[in-house]
Amino acid sequence: MEETHNFEVAVVTPNGEVFNYPNATLTVIHTTDGELGIMANHNPLISALATSEMRIQDKANDYEERLAVNGGFAEFSSNKLTVVADAAEKAGEIDVNRAERARDRAERRLREAHNQREQQLAQAALVRAVTRIHAATGE
Amino acid sequence: MAASLQEIQHRIDSTKSTRQITSAMQMVSTAKLSKIQRSGTGYRLYAQHLQDVVSHLAQAHLSNVKGTLLESREVKKVGFLIITSDRGLVGGYNSMLIKRVMSAFEERHLTKDDVVILAIGGNGADFFKKRGFNVAYEYRGVSDVPDFMEVRDIVKTVTAMYDNEVYDELELAYQHFASRISNEVQLEQILPIDTTNLETESGSLSAEYDMNPSADKVLETVLPQYAQSLVFGAILDAKTAEHSASVNAMSSASDNAKEVIDDLELHYNRARQAAITTEITEITGGMAALE
Repeated sequence: MEETHNFEVAVVTPNGEVFNYPNATLTVIHTTDGELGIMANHNPLISALATSEMRIQDKANDYEERLAVNGGFAEFSSNKLTVVADAAEKAGEIDVNRAERARDRAERRLREAHNQREQQLAQAALVRAVTRIHAATGE
Repeated sequence: MAASLQEIQHRIDSTKSTRQITSAMQMVSTAKLSKIQRSGTGYRLYAQHLQDVVSHLAQAHLSNVKGTLLESREVKKVGFLIITSDRGLVGGYNSMLIKRVMSAFEERHLTKDDVVILAIGGNGADFFKKRGFNVAYEYRGVSDVPDFMEVRDIVKTVTAMYDNEVYDELELAYQHFASRISNEVQLEQILPIDTTNLETESGSLSAEYDMNPSADKVLETVLPQYAQSLVFGAILDAKTAEHSASVNAMSSASDNAKEVIDDLELHYNRARQAAITTEITEITGGMAALE
């Protein structure tokens, strides 16, 4: 039997499926533990994700897509990778100006935070904003 | 007689304009209803994925639930998250729900000191405040088609309060959209998460998974996300029910207005005929006097 070299990738958020690509050859996700590359026929896996960027590649068709993913988790089984997060955006759809404003706002809030909870919230917002800027601009 | 004719005409006109307003509101609500029903399908896909993973994890790791949202602790206070509407004009939508919640208090012998109210929607917040309940959280102005970003803060606050032991059990009370003509009051426990009644029909997750970084860590991420999705789902469902209740209330208001108008028109015609008859009698009477 010929082994398949591609697999399906889907990203699901509360607003529905925001991304689907049937022929990925490599997907790189950032787990809470570090970077993880997934290729076809990977062992079944459930992994917690960091607020980070994920990269989907299809070498055969010279395709690459980046998404900013807001936490959540990834599940891989029967050659399908499903990322379930409360928010995800394709790099091309990210409004960089808005993300930069969000980053500046988060930085200000972080400086002015009065307690630990405020600090944590600001920190999380900052990570989200930076991730989105990074995914959108590749910097 | 003429004054009465005018009076009736005036009432007909005002009822007609009321009917115009109610039927316009009915159409607006119908449009909102179909919009929210469309966005609901996207959410269900998300919820299904979460549920699959949670039930899978729960089956595999039921022994080790300490410190997670699965762990049940001694219940000192019960939180009630009550989703009502901000506006009126939705028929019995709010009153049915509140009545059901009050009877649930009675059934469980809960007094004002045992419950913490979390109110989404002005109607419920006002009601419980007026009666001296402890309303720990209040949110007004959920939009007509809520998206997750909007309610995320609500949801996070609600789960954070549970972590801080403001309450030890969280019940969710809302109107569930059963069909376009009827809603049902739902009362369900969401925290601690009860995995016994999770539907495990989806056979997609039978494989033995590698957990990364570890099963406990995954559980720590997935469970809050699951609880949040439950609350979001309830808000979505309640909003759907609200729009549908509004459609029904407005359609029966329009029907009633039509009945009133028909009735008034009958009166108007009678009065008009009476006026004509009187006029003719007067004219013939006047002619008879001349002859």
